[in-house]
Amino acid sequence: MSVRIFSTDHRVIARQYFFLSLFAVLFGMLLSLLMRFHLVYPQTPVRVFEAIWPEKASGGVMTPELYLSLLTLHGTIMVFFVLTLAPLNAFGNLVLPEQLGATGMAFPRLNMMSFWTTVISFLLLIASFTCQDGGPLSGWTAYPPLSALGAIAGPGQGRGQTLWFFSIGVFCISATLTSINFIATVIEMRSPDMGLMQMPLPCWNWFVTSILSLLSFPVLLAAGLLILLDRLAGTSFFLPAGGGSPLLWQHLFWFFGHPEVYIAILPGMGIVSHVISVFTRKPVFGYKAMVFATIAIAFLGLLVWGHHMFISGLSPYSAIAFSVLTMVIGAPSAVKTFNWIATLWGARIELTTAMLFCLGFISIFVTGGLSGLFLGQPQIDAYFHDTYFVVAHFHMIMGIAALFGIFAATFYWFPLMFRRKLHEGLGKIHFYLTFVFAYATFVPMHFAGFAGNPRRYADFTTFDFLQPLLPLQKGITHSAFALAAVQILFLGNLIWSLRRGPVIEWTGDTGTWQR
Amino acid sequence: MATLTDNDIPLSELLGDGGQPPIFPEPPNGGGGGDPDGHRPPPGNSRSAAVIGIFVMMCASTMTFSALVSAMIVRRGLNRTDWHHIPLPSILWWNTLILLVSSVALDTARRQLRKGNRTTFNRLWTAGAVMGTWFLIGQIIAWYQLEAGGFRLVGNLNSAFFYVLTWAHAAHVIGALGAVLYVEYRALQFKLGPSGRTWVDVSAIFWHFLDLLWLGLMALFVFWA
Repeated sequence: MSVRIFSTDHRVIARQYFFLSLFAVLFGMLLSLLMRFHLVYPQTPVRVFEAIWPEKASGGVMTPELYLSLLTLHGTIMVFFVLTLAPLNAFGNLVLPEQLGATGMAFPRLNMMSFWTTVISFLLLIASFTCQDGGPLSGWTAYPPLSALGAIAGPGQGRGQTLWFFSIGVFCISATLTSINFIATVIEMRSPDMGLMQMPLPCWNWFVTSILSLLSFPVLLAAGLLILLDRLAGTSFFLPAGGGSPLLWQHLFWFFGHPEVYIAILPGMGIVSHVISVFTRKPVFGYKAMVFATIAIAFLGLLVWGHHMFISGLSPYSAIAFSVLTMVIGAPSAVKTFNWIATLWGARIELTTAMLFCLGFISIFVTGGLSGLFLGQPQIDAYFHDTYFVVAHFHMIMGIAALFGIFAATFYWFPLMFRRKLHEGLGKIHFYLTFVFAYATFVPMHFAGFAGNPRRYADFTTFDFLQPLLPLQKGITHSAFALAAVQILFLGNLIWSLRRGPVIEWTGDTGTWQR
Repeated sequence: MATLTDNDIPLSELLGDGGQPPIFPEPPNGGGGGDPDGHRPPPGNSRSAAVIGIFVMMCASTMTFSALVSAMIVRRGLNRTDWHHIPLPSILWWNTLILLVSSVALDTARRQLRKGNRTTFNRLWTAGAVMGTWFLIGQIIAWYQLEAGGFRLVGNLNSAFFYVLTWAHAAHVIGALGAVLYVEYRALQFKLGPSGRTWVDVSAIFWHFLDLLWLGLMALFVFWA
């Protein structure tokens, strides 16, 4: 049991994180489909809904509370248990020691503890949605004052919300333990002849991501502690009635929340740099520039939390400062993009599935990044804030782009993880269809945002001015279902390849695959 | 009905029960990592890794306290009319002194161990551990005194921040005290080998960090609260 379940081996722990994230992403995707269906067919009775939630979907129609509860679960699962775990914890654990020439992570027991703490956090999250008085419905941002009041604030604000905060608190501890391990591994466990500037780019990205985790998750833990005291002990840190300030939560939350975006995407950038280099048979163009761009993105990412609060009553002077800093992040991001393109330039590109996902990553990262330029300006954000434009933006930049990085890593490092190879043909079909339907799902959301369609509304069709958007939203929903259906190809490929995929051994000496 | 081919692997073999190499292979050395040739010590036993780890952990703790302290300072700046001053119990000064002396004791013990004076080490380390416990008891007395004076967790934001910050610090002290007592136990059992000495250094470093943290908190309470 100690070898299989409570293992301290980094490869076993990597697989454990991989399967936890896989389960989480499938669950999170299912929730999004339920939400999308309800959005465009809000009054259509579905017997399954009633069977699952006899009270909250009486007659087969979801209550707004249930919709918001699903939205909260979807956001929390995807941000914490997919986008944080898969690229950093799963692939970082698998590859970091290999690329550093280390025998393992610096603290194997701590590594095992981190994983099982994450599992506890996941179980607490799921438990929060089974509470009798309703699952939490404050979204993944859990803004006070409502989230700080407790059951008195209405359905879904009782024990479910409390458990949600406990889950996030436990996750913060787990993420901090992981970052301690990763940082110590990079500093201490490198091969004796490997200087920091000789480290492969994925290692740099995992290293910088771990530093971001270290600096941001403890802040969320502190904020969570204060809000739990508000809920359970009657304090009023975030409640205006007792002298507190809800804005304080927003500052603390977004000091974590914005770096979280880079925690999700930076590992993907490292993976893309590595895989592109392999399949173009060239070293990455501008290694040093890539390293400094990674550091610059992370550093600036710690200073721009205020751009999430432009309409929260922020001083216009602060807003300008946050806006300018946000725009500046475009520079190192552009450096990375141009360097990837320069690496591709003139190369004999081998279009493997992993490589295709890298190209898809670049495409979606640029598309998602461009909409960020609009949201980074206070005047424009005043209109776009809390519309589907924001939903489209963050799904592209930290959702789909990061997932493409995860897919690239999965196809590339699958043999290292399972000693077998995923089916390439099936993988390519999966890539092309995912690429098309990802764009078909999230690009139209920008138009819904242009038209002023607010997010987090359980039934937008009740507003006359939004009625004309129903066909657009239906198209988005149909595309989302197609996008989800395409993932069956990946699941099938995964299951088939685990059992019947060609056996392949990784030759660690050359750092490439023996094919 | 489909039959298994050479390429098929029954589910049992995924876990390595069949003749083929398992897909989820057993890690070398029982999963603990380490170099099979014995050229390098297994990961996690490295002394410098432990020291780096504790410094990184101190960064994480610093961020937690920075968040709490900045929340307090920002909240105080928002509205000073409802910010009620709390009189600091005098025992806090004694607690500060005890914590500082305990730190000196632990560090001197650490140096004595390096010189091989195990008896002196045992005495000083025990004294440090006892003073650490005294510090915690003193903190509990301070909380009772404040509550008796009407400064509770609820009703006064200043006292609420005081309780949260001192509780968070005490939680750290409890963790560090656990490490100190573990070293104490190993020392009294005459089992303090080289890896135990890493524990000695790491727990002493963290104890000093808690000193600094406490001095910072006292400065905050005296000058800002």
